[in-house]
Amino acid sequence: MVDEEEIIRVAKLMKIDLEDHTEHVSRVKKMLEYFDILDQIDLSSEEITSQEKTLAELRKDEFIPNDKKLIDSLKNFREHYVRAPKMN
Amino acid sequence: MNLKTSILDYINDVKSGSLTVEEFTSATIQRIKDVDGDVHAYLSLNESAIDNAKSIDKKISTGEKVGACYGFPISIKDNICITGTKTTCASKILENFVAPYTATVVNKLQNEDAIITGKTNLDEFAMGLTTEFSAYGPTKNPWNLKYVPGGSSGGSAASVAADECLASLGSDTGGSVRNPASFCSVVGLKPTYGLISRYGLISYANSIEQIGPMTKTVKDCGFLLNIIAGQDSNDDTTIDNKQSDYLKNIEDGIEGKKIGIIKEMTSDGLSPEVSSATKEAIQDFEKLGANCEEVSLPTIPYTVAAYYTITSTEAGSNLARYDNIRYGYDLDSEGYEYNSYISKSRTKFGPEVIRRIILGGFVPSAGHAGKYFLKALKVKSKLTSEVNSAFEKYDFLIAPTAPVQPFQFGEKIDDPITLMLLDYNTVTANLTGKPAISVPYRVVDGLPIGMQIMGNSLKEESLLQAAYALESKTELPEVPL
Repeated sequence: MVDEEEIIRVAKLMKIDLEDHTEHVSRVKKMLEYFDILDQIDLSSEEITSQEKTLAELRKDEFIPNDKKLIDSLKNFREHYVRAPKMN
Repeated sequence: MNLKTSILDYINDVKSGSLTVEEFTSATIQRIKDVDGDVHAYLSLNESAIDNAKSIDKKISTGEKVGACYGFPISIKDNICITGTKTTCASKILENFVAPYTATVVNKLQNEDAIITGKTNLDEFAMGLTTEFSAYGPTKNPWNLKYVPGGSSGGSAASVAADECLASLGSDTGGSVRNPASFCSVVGLKPTYGLISRYGLISYANSIEQIGPMTKTVKDCGFLLNIIAGQDSNDDTTIDNKQSDYLKNIEDGIEGKKIGIIKEMTSDGLSPEVSSATKEAIQDFEKLGANCEEVSLPTIPYTVAAYYTITSTEAGSNLARYDNIRYGYDLDSEGYEYNSYISKSRTKFGPEVIRRIILGGFVPSAGHAGKYFLKALKVKSKLTSEVNSAFEKYDFLIAPTAPVQPFQFGEKIDDPITLMLLDYNTVTANLTGKPAISVPYRVVDGLPIGMQIMGNSLKEESLLQAAYALESKTELPEVPL
């Protein structure tokens, strides 16, 4: 059984502010309970497979200069610096 | 003006001089003005469409080289980027986001002189099956405005069905092209994973999602695939398709082909109408010369849980960037502590996205990964082995695209499990990377039913042959709009 408090804690870790969380928590709980079906399948002989690529197959890691137009569209950009918002 | 025409017929008309690109584009824009107030397929329109049409007409009249699309109008799902246009993912958090670059698929279309009509509605961040989760209001099904168009590419499907364009591009993570294609009676293809570049598609669950064409006919689907498929250096998951021509042999038929009817997708859970249509489709395949028999894929009952576990996990990671620092909107930061500022900004996410993000934090977390995420990955492996074995014996695997016909707004939105199970017949293609197509097959009580055909990896050419063969056995009414 999934603990509601744990769902709320995970939401906080995911930076989700659950002001009115009743509906969200109950739906997430229902979905997690449905996922319990995964306990019913025998996966003991299964391996997790993944596709692999060698570095040579990947796009070259090349430097692409910034598009000046993009930088110009930043609100608080001066010379080479971006002014970040002030926070406590 | 016949807006119900196919892409191929339109191109022939333009080539023959009986139609100008401007005439057709103007009529399409007028059609959008006339019906989209009701249908709400579009979130934004391309104001330059008529100018684009005029410049293509000029190319034609001066004998300049014209791209293969000859200015046919196509809509694009609003999670695919086009430079200088809004790309909202139907989310309030990206309400004013203007894409700084263009997706490879759109570049390819524009290079071949297609005209983008606008960006279409979807469930927020493509998470849903009805478009009811769009932050800008749902799209209506052109067959009956009280019914959902399917999702998440519901706007794309509805725009094609309502003759507001000749084709659309959607994205399919668990059925998001095929489900609305089935609900709106259009053709929708989820290609082999890697066949079409995802560069410029805003990621939701990138290990399994693909961009897919949505068209009025199977031949149009092949035509569009010829243009947008192929390797892209900006997407390292793309694969070389050897410049396949998906249209060339599309009329070759399916005489002697072996078809597996997926037992787990055709026994329980189908509505009587869908069940009956499926039996008729099997008979049609047999009349076309194919040999059909039932095949069991015992892992399928576990696929929806595995799919939601994997996609939520990837969504939790992919959507972390919407923190109002990397992507977001104007929100005064004064007075906020760092984490609470991010949390505050993320309250603009809609309810379904919030739930998927929470799930995405929960299922792969320490203490829970063994029960959920790692098992889901093993289900994916087991399913892939089963499906690969099936393709050693069969050329195609079939089932209805959706277990039910379109339903009314609000009918299923309150039950998350019922909503999840709408994906039951479609997620297998995504989890295994196989191509699958939904073909319009029946309209019963005024509502469409689509049949799904799944093929082996990179077998789109034969998949489209089977889809074309089935399409040739159908005669469907026109959309009543």
